[in-house]
Amino acid sequence: MLGGTIGSLGMGLGAYPLLAGEVEKSRKKLLLIFLSGGPSQLETWDPKPGTKYGGPLLAIPTSVKGTHISELLPNTAKVMHQLAVIRSLNTGIADHFQGHYALQSGRTVPGFPVIGSALAKLLEQDGDQLPGYVEMRRDGPKAYTDVGDAGFLGPKYESVKVINAEPPDFLIRPDTFSESKAQVVDQLRVNSDQRFLQGRSELPIRAYGGTFSRAVALMKQRGIFDIEKESASDRELYGSHLFGRHCLMARRLLESGVSCVKVVSHDWDAHQENFHWHQQRCSEFDRTFPALVTDFDRRGLLEDTLVVVMGEMGRTPQINNRGGRDHWGKAWSMAMTGCGVKRGIIHGKTNAEGTEVAEGEVHGGDLFNTFLRALDISPREKYQMTGQPIPAGDPAGSTIREVLV
Amino acid sequence: MNIVVNNLAARWTPILLAILATGQMSRAESLHTLIDKHIEVRWKEHEIRPARLASDAEFLRRVSLDLAGIIPTAVEARAFLDDTTNDKRASLVDSLLASPEYALHMARVFDVVLAERNVASTASYDIKGPVWRAFLTEAFAENRPWDTLARDILGSDGTDEKTGPGVKFFLARSTEAHVVTRDVSRLFLGRDYQCAQCHDDPRYEDYLQADYFGIYAFLIRTSHFREKKSNRSMLAEKAEGDVNFTSVFTGEKGETHPRLPGWEAIPDPEMEKAKLYTVAPAKDVRAVPAYSRRSQLASHLPRKETDGFSRNIANRLWALMMGRGLVHPLDMHHAKNPPSHPELLDALADHMEETNYDIKALLRQIALSQTYQLSSQFAEGQSEPSPESFALAPLRALSAEQLGWNFLQASQRLPASVLDAEQKLKQESPDDFEEQRKELKWRKEIYDNLEKTAAPLIKAFANMPGQAEGDFAPTVGQTLFLLNGEKYFNLAKGEYKGSLISRLKELKTADEVADELYLSVLTRRPVEEEREEVAQHLEKSKDREAALQELTWAKLLSAEFRLNH
Repeated sequence: MLGGTIGSLGMGLGAYPLLAGEVEKSRKKLLLIFLSGGPSQLETWDPKPGTKYGGPLLAIPTSVKGTHISELLPNTAKVMHQLAVIRSLNTGIADHFQGHYALQSGRTVPGFPVIGSALAKLLEQDGDQLPGYVEMRRDGPKAYTDVGDAGFLGPKYESVKVINAEPPDFLIRPDTFSESKAQVVDQLRVNSDQRFLQGRSELPIRAYGGTFSRAVALMKQRGIFDIEKESASDRELYGSHLFGRHCLMARRLLESGVSCVKVVSHDWDAHQENFHWHQQRCSEFDRTFPALVTDFDRRGLLEDTLVVVMGEMGRTPQINNRGGRDHWGKAWSMAMTGCGVKRGIIHGKTNAEGTEVAEGEVHGGDLFNTFLRALDISPREKYQMTGQPIPAGDPAGSTIREVLV
Repeated sequence: MNIVVNNLAARWTPILLAILATGQMSRAESLHTLIDKHIEVRWKEHEIRPARLASDAEFLRRVSLDLAGIIPTAVEARAFLDDTTNDKRASLVDSLLASPEYALHMARVFDVVLAERNVASTASYDIKGPVWRAFLTEAFAENRPWDTLARDILGSDGTDEKTGPGVKFFLARSTEAHVVTRDVSRLFLGRDYQCAQCHDDPRYEDYLQADYFGIYAFLIRTSHFREKKSNRSMLAEKAEGDVNFTSVFTGEKGETHPRLPGWEAIPDPEMEKAKLYTVAPAKDVRAVPAYSRRSQLASHLPRKETDGFSRNIANRLWALMMGRGLVHPLDMHHAKNPPSHPELLDALADHMEETNYDIKALLRQIALSQTYQLSSQFAEGQSEPSPESFALAPLRALSAEQLGWNFLQASQRLPASVLDAEQKLKQESPDDFEEQRKELKWRKEIYDNLEKTAAPLIKAFANMPGQAEGDFAPTVGQTLFLLNGEKYFNLAKGEYKGSLISRLKELKTADEVADELYLSVLTRRPVEEEREEVAQHLEKSKDREAALQELTWAKLLSAEFRLNH
C-alpha cells in the first residue's frame, strides 16, 4: 500500500467542466449522525412494549400510519414520513472498537477507509481546497470514535476534527507573523521540496506538501466553522446543547462544500439504568434531529444529502441486574433519509421478543453499499491502488434495494 | 535403535558442535553480509535494480535518527563528512550505539511500542511516563537482553524496586485480561489474536481460539490493586479462576489451562486449599498466590522455544531500521502472510537466539549492511522498486518524539542547553569533565529539563492512543500547528541564547550562512543552487535577521526535515 498512487480515481477529476456553483449544487453529500456507545433499538426505533424484554417504556404512533416508535422520541415520530428505518440489522459485532470500524467502513478486515474518508475521496472534485471530511465530537481522552480513519486512502482523506463545536485549532496566524512573510517562507519551502523530490518517492513528499496548501485554504475559510454567523432563530431551532450546535455547524459545512460531516452523539453505552439513560440521550437527540430533517427538507438539502443515524451496535433485549442492556449486534435498528432513500418506510423486522431478525436481514456491508448507492456511487467502483484495484463497497455485501428510490 | 542413535550422537556430537560453533561464529561476525545476500537474491529473481549507496551525509542523518533518535549538530556533521578514514561508517555506528542518546531514544521507541500511548483508566495512580521511560532507559543503557526485559515487564507486579515500573504494560491496558492477552500476543509474539477471542479466525488457519484462551488463562487471575498508603498501582493475583470459552461460530466449547501456542498446557500444581496463598485476598490487601500463573507466563513466554518470540523481535528491530517488517504488518505473522524474505527472517531470529537476545548486536549488523546503507534516491530511468524489495531506502516519517526533539536540535535549543551544561560541568569538575559528560545521567538531565518544551511538539504529532504508529500520515491539523502554534512558533523565532538564528547572524558571508544552516537542519552541505538561493534571499532582504528567520523556518518545514530518508 505504501507506494500506491493515490489520486488517479476517475470520479470528478476534471470530468465535470462546470462552473463552481453548478458543481456545488450537483455534489452529493453525507451527514452521518453517529450515536456512539450503541443505542438501544428497543428504546428508539423498534419498541416492544409489554413483551418479555420490552422494558417499562411505551410505543407511540408516528406520522406513518401503523408505525410506532419509542415514546422517548415524540418529535421524531412526527417526521417518520421522511425517514427510512431498518429494523433488521444483524452485524454480529458486540464490541465498540470493532463496531465503530465495521459499521463505518463496511468491512471487518482492517485498513479500509471509513465512509467519511471514502466519500471525501469518491466525491472529490478538481480544485477542492476544503477538507472532504469533517468530524465533530466532544473532548475526551478516550474516544473509540477515533478508531476509523482513511485507511489505505492515506492522510489526505483523514477527517478534520471539530472538538466541542470549536473551530479546529491554530486557524489564526500569530499577529507577529505577517501574511507576506508567510508567503516568502512558503515559497522557500516549496523550492526546497521540489529539489528533494528529484528521484524520490513522490507520495510522502506530496502528501506533506498538500497539507500546507489545505492548511492555508482552511485558515482563509475559517468562517465556515462559526455558527455565530447563523441566525438566532436557526441557533434556537437546533438547540444550544453540543449536539445541536454540532448539527447546525454540520449544515453550515455541507452548504459550504464539505462532502461529508460526521456528528458524534456520545454516551449511549447504557450498561446500567438503561431506561433513565436513554431518556436523557433521546431527549437531546429528539430536540434536534427532527428539526434538522424538516429544516434540511425546507432548504432542499435532502435532495442531495444523505442523512444517516446509527450507532456501532444495538443493545441486548435481556436486561441485566443493574437495569442495563449490554452490547448486542444480532438484531438492531438504524434510520436514514435524504437523497436516494425512500421516505416513510420500515425495512425488515425482528421477532416478537426482539431476540432475532425475523425478516429482511441486513449486514454491515449491505448498509455500506446502500449508502454508496444512495449517493449514486456504484459499490463496485474501484480505488485504483498500485497492483490491485480495490472495490469501494463490500464485494460480499448487497444493496438494500427496498429502501432506495 | 536407541543405542545406535546414542552411539552416533556420542561420536558426532563434538564434531557437530565444533562445526555449529564455527558456523555460528562466522555467521554472527558477518550477519550483515548475509543480510545483503538474502536481499540480493530477490533483486536478481525479480530483476530489480537497487538504488546506489547512500552518500555519507544521507547515511549520517539516517543512522543518527535510527540509533540515537536525533540528528547530529553542525559540528558533528562536519567532523564526520570531513573524516577520511575507511571505516568511519562502522565507527559511527559503534559510537552511536554507545551514546547515552541510544538508550534515551530506544526508551522513547519502546514506550510507544509497549504502552501504545494508552491512557490508563487508573491515571491518577498510574506509573508516570518519566518513571516508565527511566526504567526503559536503564534497560537499554545496559543493553538488557530482550528476553530478560520481556520477563521483567510480564512478571512485574509493581512492587520490585528495579522492575516495578514494568507493570505499566498492564496498567496501560487497564489490567483488562482480554486486552492484555491480545497485546501480549501482538507485541511479544507478532500475532494479533483479536478475532480468535470469539472464534477460530477464519482468515488465518493458525490463529486458534484455544491459543488465545491459552494465553488468557495466564492472565485471568491478575487484577489491578491500588495501595492506598503509597497511592501506587500494583497487581494482585488470585489462586483460583479457570477459563472456559465457546465459539460464536460453531458453539463448540473449550476449556484450557495456561498454554502457549504449540505447547502443552501447564497444569496448576496440586495444593492444599489452606496453602493457596502467600497473602490471602481481603479488603485493601494485595492478594499474592503461592503459585502465580502470571509468573509462569513471564518465565515461559520469553524463550526461544516459544513459537514466534524470536521472530517477532527480529522483525520489529528490522522494521525499526528499515521502515518495514519482513513480515508486514508487524503483528500479522501467519501462514497467509509469509515474510518477504523467510531465510533472512530466520537468520535474524537465529542471531537473536545465538547472542542471547542482544538488541544492540542485531541493530549493529543491520546498520552495517549495504541494504541499510542504500540511498533513498533512485537512479534516473529506474522505476520505483516495491517497498518489500528493500532496494531503495524508504522515506519514513520521523516519529512524534523524533520530530519534537529534532526541532529542538536543529533550532539549537538542545545544543545550546548542552553547551551551558558543559560549561557548568567544566567549572564544577574540571578533572573528570570528559568522563562525566559521556554519562547517561548527566545527559538525561539535560533532556529532562527540556521535556516541557518538547512535550507540546510531541503531542501535536502523536497518534491516537492505542493506534500503533503507522505509515507517514501528515494531517492539516499538524501543519496548522507548525504554521500557527505558539509553542512551536516561539521556538522557531530563536529568541534565546545560542539559537540557530543568533548563530547565523554572526556569520559574515552568504556561503557560511548556507553551510551552517544546511548542516544544522538537514545534516548536509548545500548544493550550488541552494547556496545561490540563500545568497539571493539575503541580498534582496532589507532586514537580515528576518531573512535568516525565513530561511530557517522554510528548512524546518521542508519534507526533507520531516522525513527520515
